[in-house]
Amino acid sequence: MEPVNLFDLATRQSQWLSVRQSSVAGNIANANTPGYTATDVEPFEKVLDRTAVRLSATQSGHLGGATEAAFTVKPQEPTGPVMPSKNTVVMENELMKAGEIRRAFELNTAVVKAFHTMLMTTVKS
Amino acid sequence: MIGGIGAVHLKSANSGSETSTDLLTGTGAAPTGTQVASTFAEALNQAATKTVNTLQHAEQASIQALKGDVDTRQVVDAVMGAQQALQTTIAIRDKIVSAYLEVSRMSI
Amino acid sequence: MDALAAALKVAASGLGAQSERMRVVSENLANAQSTGTTPGANPYQRKTISFVSELDRASGGSLVEINSIARDPADFPVEFQPGNQAADAKGYVKMPNVNVLIEMADMTEANRSYEANLQVVKQARDLISMTIDLMRNQS
Repeated sequence: MEPVNLFDLATRQSQWLSVRQSSVAGNIANANTPGYTATDVEPFEKVLDRTAVRLSATQSGHLGGATEAAFTVKPQEPTGPVMPSKNTVVMENELMKAGEIRRAFELNTAVVKAFHTMLMTTVKS
Repeated sequence: MIGGIGAVHLKSANSGSETSTDLLTGTGAAPTGTQVASTFAEALNQAATKTVNTLQHAEQASIQALKGDVDTRQVVDAVMGAQQALQTTIAIRDKIVSAYLEVSRMSI
Repeated sequence: MDALAAALKVAASGLGAQSERMRVVSENLANAQSTGTTPGANPYQRKTISFVSELDRASGGSLVEINSIARDPADFPVEFQPGNQAADAKGYVKMPNVNVLIEMADMTEANRSYEANLQVVKQARDLISMTIDLMRNQS
């Protein structure tokens, strides 16, 4: 098994979380829009299986949101009865997702910060 | 394994995951292809070049961020990678300098 | 565009849409008793609002926009008020087709949606802040 770079993995996860957050934002904003289907991102495990963990933005100076295109956002299957307006957004689920995103993001940044600090301390002493 | 500090490679590091085992990469730009370093001096040279590239990448990222709209996380990663690379290079430089001084102090 | 910035933009459009909805509801409530001014004239007609989702090219987010603000075509209820300036020959006055209970329920819904969008704004802003904080406090 290849060694995995923690920082790369953390960046990938934070990008995934950001895309998920924008999907949740779209669902909440369109909770009253007739005909709107709720969307969600593919699970992170699938993303990891698909691509080996390596940096996506490989050229120095090449920036921009190009890496987010790698995550597919697709309409969710409606669970339970569908409203006459054909809107499939369930507010409670969206708020729950938002909570999960926040927790994961906080953990992500905390881990990155901790390892960065450890690295610096090791190198300086 | 995180960022591979202190792992100076004298052989080609073209594994599937480019960044995990190279010196000083941290979260900086991935190398586009590592040559075989035949001497220690060459290895140091490569490491120094990589550091400079990482720093430049971070600078460009920050400039783009100041000018306009860029992915926040990428800028943060570039800057942190530059910090790591710089610190590591400084530490290595200090060790080399002190080693040289020690050698020069040896009585013949 | 940064996905978190896109989330911010989308949530902001949600806030705008729900505010507009609350404005319509409060107009209906305020005019729930507004009859016409001349005999037999039509009273205030209830307003309805509908949303539509727009895909924003720049950010990739699904913004919500106002599709239209239309009038409710439902019939006007009629009350017997011979003294009213809008009373017809038989003394009946047409009243606005506003049901206060429905409007109050709509107001509560609009409030709930507004709060949810506001939460998204706060969260997106916090996540961006957390990312930038990674760089800070490095000695």
